[in-house]
Amino acid sequence: MSDITKSGGRRGSIAAAVTVVLLVVGGFLVAKSFSGTDAPPQPDAAQSAPSVTPAPSSSPPSPTSSPTSATGKTAAPSTADFGPIMGPSAPVSLKIPSIGVDTKGIVDLGLDKSGKLQAPTDFGRAGWYANGPTPGEFGPAVIGAHVDSKSGPAVFYRLGSLKKGATVSVARKDGSTARFVVDRVARYSKADFPTMTVYGDTKGRAELRLITCGGAFDQSTGHYVDNIVAFAHLTS
Amino acid sequence: MRTTSKIASVALGSAVLLPFLGAGVAQAADGSTMATLRPVALNGVKGSGTAMVTVNGTRIDVTMAANGLLPDAPHAAHIHFGADARHECPVAGDDAKGDGTINTTDGGPAYGPIVVSLTKTGDTSPKSGLAVDRFDTAPGGKINYERGSINVSSGVAQAITEGKAVVVVHGVDHNNDGKYDGTTKSDLDPSLPTEATDPAICGVLNAAPAGGMDTGAGGTSTPNNEGMLLLGGGLLMAAVGTGAFTARKARNRV
Repeated sequence: MSDITKSGGRRGSIAAAVTVVLLVVGGFLVAKSFSGTDAPPQPDAAQSAPSVTPAPSSSPPSPTSSPTSATGKTAAPSTADFGPIMGPSAPVSLKIPSIGVDTKGIVDLGLDKSGKLQAPTDFGRAGWYANGPTPGEFGPAVIGAHVDSKSGPAVFYRLGSLKKGATVSVARKDGSTARFVVDRVARYSKADFPTMTVYGDTKGRAELRLITCGGAFDQSTGHYVDNIVAFAHLTS
Repeated sequence: MRTTSKIASVALGSAVLLPFLGAGVAQAADGSTMATLRPVALNGVKGSGTAMVTVNGTRIDVTMAANGLLPDAPHAAHIHFGADARHECPVAGDDAKGDGTINTTDGGPAYGPIVVSLTKTGDTSPKSGLAVDRFDTAPGGKINYERGSINVSSGVAQAITEGKAVVVVHGVDHNNDGKYDGTTKSDLDPSLPTEATDPAICGVLNAAPAGGMDTGAGGTSTPNNEGMLLLGGGLLMAAVGTGAFTARKARNRV
């Protein structure tokens, strides 16, 4: 009788201890998965809308901005107001202070057989589409980099948290620096990628596209299902 | 745990893969090309530009922007292609006469003859190659050109999508006097000075990238967190079981 009670009590206390361990470990894992500290940041909806440009008359009058925008901007003399433009020179390094990007040794990227832009083979490097315009020239210069490697964050890990108005500077081979300001940051499904929006004509402006991966990771293909694209234009 | 998530992602993945492949094929066929227009060797132009040509069968849509050209002067602009050409922009070595400039004859071996005239109105065939009254006059040195639905031959359409066609904007001012003049005549039309037809800026039409980029290996991805959530949840469920067992034992003792 006493034996049974004893062993039953022992088993009971072991079960109680196991319960506590399971609760603690399980609870920790659930909490950690919800806190999402490991996942790369994704752009929110507010960042994907284009910035309001001061030029159009349709924009609502604002007491603080209308006097300065009326006098501060010189009227476009011709129909083709392209903004600043630079001569051709390949990029050598990229700085985005607001998200801690400071990367040197930008590699040349080409297209694969299906026409897709190939990613840098080195997770620690950014690459640029070498058959397109150089950053600062007319058209959309493209710089891409990985969001992560198999083991942790890569060059563009924080691209999804980039905000409108942030500055991006590209040092070029000729010693000059092309400075851009971010217009918007958006996330697109790779299956329905807006090729023309991202790589198409920029109506003469010198622009920059920063591309990395986003959304969910598909274990079967080994790729993320979305791309995060930051759109920026040259300011100086 | 690992096996479960693997099976789940394989099932999910195969569903995702099909539309993915379909999109790749469709985009490869749509034929968007871009040229970065840069100064032609030896001709002293500081300008630059971009051109985009989208091919749909034997119809092309063209947009082009350029700056740094001689202002208020007609700039003949063409798509060039020749099967025997190098499909490039001319280099200093193409100056056959050694006169220190590149004229249209010098440019021929690099980019071939005119196949499309990028006129603002009317005919776009090679016949309009020097229709100076129908080309952009670059007010302020700038061109902002757009023209849709230009008909081309299937051979030209193919050359464009294969990266063998070259966009050339002509018209330079060698002596910097603000107009086309000089004693040297154009080798295309002796009634024009060579300044009016010498190539100014040039770029090969190359396929624009199509589709997204594969820029991540998943080391920080969300599915890891989902796995963590499932594992954590499983442990909590187990805790309910062992907890119930403990409770029953405790009850038995009373």
